[in-house]
Amino acid sequence: MSDLDDFKATYFDECSELLLELEEQFHAIEDGDRSSDRLNAVFRAIHSIKGGGGAFGFAALVAFAHAYETLLDHVRDGRVELSEHVTALCIHANDIVADFVAAARDGVELPPGYGDEEKAQFDALTSGGDPDMSGEPMEEFDIDFVPVMVTIPGAEDTPSPEPIERLASTDSFEAPPMGGRSWIIRFTPHSELYARANDPLLLFRELATLGTIEVKAKLEEIPPLGDFEPFGVYCSWEITLTSDTASEARIAEVFEFVEGNCDLEIVPAPATADVGPAMPTFAELAGIEPTEDKLDAEVEAAAAAGEEGKLLSFAELAEQLKPALKAAPPVMPTPLAASSPAAPADDHDGDNERRSGPEDRRNGVQSIRVDLDKIDRVVNMVGELVITQSMLTQQMDETLRARYQELVRGIEVLAQTTRGLQDAVMAIRAQPVKTVFSRMPRLVRELSAKTGKKIRLETIGENTEIDKTIIEQLSDPLTHMIRNSADHGIEMPETRIAAGKPEAGVIRLSAEQAGGNILIAVEDDGGGINRERVLQVARDRGVVGPDQALTDEQIDQLIFAPGFSTAAEVSDISGRGVGMDVVLSNIKKIGGSVHVKSWAGKGTRLTLRLPLTLAVLDVMLVKVAGSPYVIPLSSIVETIQCARANFSRMPTGNQVLQVRGEYVQVVDLASRFAMTTDVDRENRFVVLCEAEGGVKVALIVDDIIGQQQVVIKSLEENFQSIEGIAGGTILGDGNVALIVDVQGLKSTATAHKSAA
Amino acid sequence: MEALAFKDDMAGTTAATANSLQLIAFSIGDQTYGVEITTVREIRAWNGATPLPNTREFVRGVINLRGTIVPIFDLRARFGEGQTSPTKNHVVVVMSVGEKWVGILVDAVSDILTVSKDEIHNVPEGNSIDTELLNGIVTHDNRMVGLIDLHAVVSGAKMDA
Repeated sequence: MSDLDDFKATYFDECSELLLELEEQFHAIEDGDRSSDRLNAVFRAIHSIKGGGGAFGFAALVAFAHAYETLLDHVRDGRVELSEHVTALCIHANDIVADFVAAARDGVELPPGYGDEEKAQFDALTSGGDPDMSGEPMEEFDIDFVPVMVTIPGAEDTPSPEPIERLASTDSFEAPPMGGRSWIIRFTPHSELYARANDPLLLFRELATLGTIEVKAKLEEIPPLGDFEPFGVYCSWEITLTSDTASEARIAEVFEFVEGNCDLEIVPAPATADVGPAMPTFAELAGIEPTEDKLDAEVEAAAAAGEEGKLLSFAELAEQLKPALKAAPPVMPTPLAASSPAAPADDHDGDNERRSGPEDRRNGVQSIRVDLDKIDRVVNMVGELVITQSMLTQQMDETLRARYQELVRGIEVLAQTTRGLQDAVMAIRAQPVKTVFSRMPRLVRELSAKTGKKIRLETIGENTEIDKTIIEQLSDPLTHMIRNSADHGIEMPETRIAAGKPEAGVIRLSAEQAGGNILIAVEDDGGGINRERVLQVARDRGVVGPDQALTDEQIDQLIFAPGFSTAAEVSDISGRGVGMDVVLSNIKKIGGSVHVKSWAGKGTRLTLRLPLTLAVLDVMLVKVAGSPYVIPLSSIVETIQCARANFSRMPTGNQVLQVRGEYVQVVDLASRFAMTTDVDRENRFVVLCEAEGGVKVALIVDDIIGQQQVVIKSLEENFQSIEGIAGGTILGDGNVALIVDVQGLKSTATAHKSAA
Repeated sequence: MEALAFKDDMAGTTAATANSLQLIAFSIGDQTYGVEITTVREIRAWNGATPLPNTREFVRGVINLRGTIVPIFDLRARFGEGQTSPTKNHVVVVMSVGEKWVGILVDAVSDILTVSKDEIHNVPEGNSIDTELLNGIVTHDNRMVGLIDLHAVVSGAKMDA
């Protein structure tokens, strides 16, 4: 049953997405957005989780989700007010749903009675409402996931998903606009009608554009299966049309093309048309029709028969359609329509209007699930392509350019196309930071409850897109940063009021793109870093020497030191000293940097600077001791010829470079890498780089070759990491060039200096 | 000897039996060494390598092997006999060591040998480098073939601070 396992995996994937969406929607609802779109989205998410859970037999999950869903339904109808209490209950319920899903996924048993308390609360809130809704057998809701079931081997002959989903749109034909005039149309097709490839269904759809229709199939003529003529016509229909606008002529127009091939009778109906609720509607027929094209009219009849249970001779045909029929309760709850995918193309306009709102957006975004490995393979290949293309461009010297202009043009086009392809591939991997940000409101709620502080979370720029791998690495650092802000930054309400600040503290989480980087900032309006205390603790722990003087900025950076904590007491939120150093190391690992800025009494801002993508790097290609090296362009400030540079010597013998009134530490790459170079000092170059925290370092290289894009390759994959080297890359000529680790060089240079 | 030579001829087409071992033999100077054939991924001519800073002298650098970066170890230097001065006639044997792929620079690849596992002798105690870098010794054509311990060869590549 590996297929079933696959479906399960898909279901759990969907569940995690839906749970995320729940978080997001409730965050908005908490912020005061009570629009029905939000509630519908919540309802849909819970409903989908429940439906799939039912298909896989996760009874506990389904039971809980059902109770929750009932509450949501009441809220949506306005029968239960969406008070703060209810919102809080719902948010808590989301957690429980998540637990149920996780338990189902991992095959873990939750303690018996888990969630019962909440379920009782739901029931208390919903009791007194319409018993039909709350007592409805839940199977009827399962149709969302029926498509999952049909592809299970051995069930090939079950109807394909489409008809069922289309069945779900029944409700749009329900909800009859009361009033208007009614017509009764009796329609009996002749066999020529079918022979001319006409289809009653299309006629009914056309009719449906005029108003609300009720279709009754007359099945009395259908013989037992043994007497059945394949091309015989046994079925006729009686249609009740309710419409403000239809006239007899307009109705007749619908049947214009089948005139003479059918018996048609159009009569005005009395205002109280006796339309039984159990009567199969047109839409149900419409839904079933595409499964069995060959049998169309007969099957429609069978469907009706199945519904009414009149004609046993069609039992076998009806058997095939059973799941569909079962899934179509006589009165469809509205949410099903909401979750149905695209309406049939020939749906009438009024219908489309009615299903406006979030669904439109939903239908507009079509997506497929792709294994990340496959995308990575494409990313790698595009990387190689970019390299090959830049190699070709490099090979084009002046004589070639003059001789083969067509070739030159071709290569230029190739360059553009590869650039475009690369951007497109990167965009596939990019995801909005929303996926991480949306987990934070809950964290802040929890922190607020634990600390007793009032904290409001603001998020800005959550649609900023960034590579998926980076996003995955962001969750932990952000959690630590927000914890830190809540625990150390934001003050207790009394303190805040005394300081003349609003009672509730604000943590602002923002993301923006700045050039080739993404900046993610966590900012709070708390007390700022207590520098005296930080310095005191640092001295006590020997992180800072007793006579070492530090600038404010250096003190702020101390919070990233491993094991460093200023909290007097270890709380279960923070204070254990693990945290900010984790942030730093995680962010470094993905090629980013962390910057802290603090204003006493006003707040603290932690900024993460992250690369847009991990795969491709814009670099400057240089030569050191005959070997190629590349320096990330993002860290280069400027390049200077050594002959024009202004060097000075420190008492230790270390060189410094004076540039624009600043003294910058100098690292000669050749000697740093223990290699010899025969290039004259005067002909070498200074590459001025900016490392983390705005600290500059001047690298001396033998030659600057040019700029290009490279794909980062790991050295560790087959070897090990090397100090001062961030990785390798393959150049257009097939040789390996090493990527200079500016940050690493800077810090080891500092270490050397202090050791000297 | 007759029979052994015959086996050698068949080595390319028949798989090693349970109790025998197929080796790729290569030479450094006049000495022959071998590695198990199943670990060898590729044999290619020396075509230069990008030197790695701050590594021991036996790490010749890295090469591009179809998009991945593979380190090259100079076996002669690893044995403490000084760096090889490689020419186009020198050979890099690319092998897998655990999860990693590494290349070793040797003078030439000479043969494929099939030896019985029973014929593997222990490395005589004495020089620690020998016992560290060799797994055992087999005799072929009255010549000694040292079985290279790849894990030992590639370890300790970083320069001690």
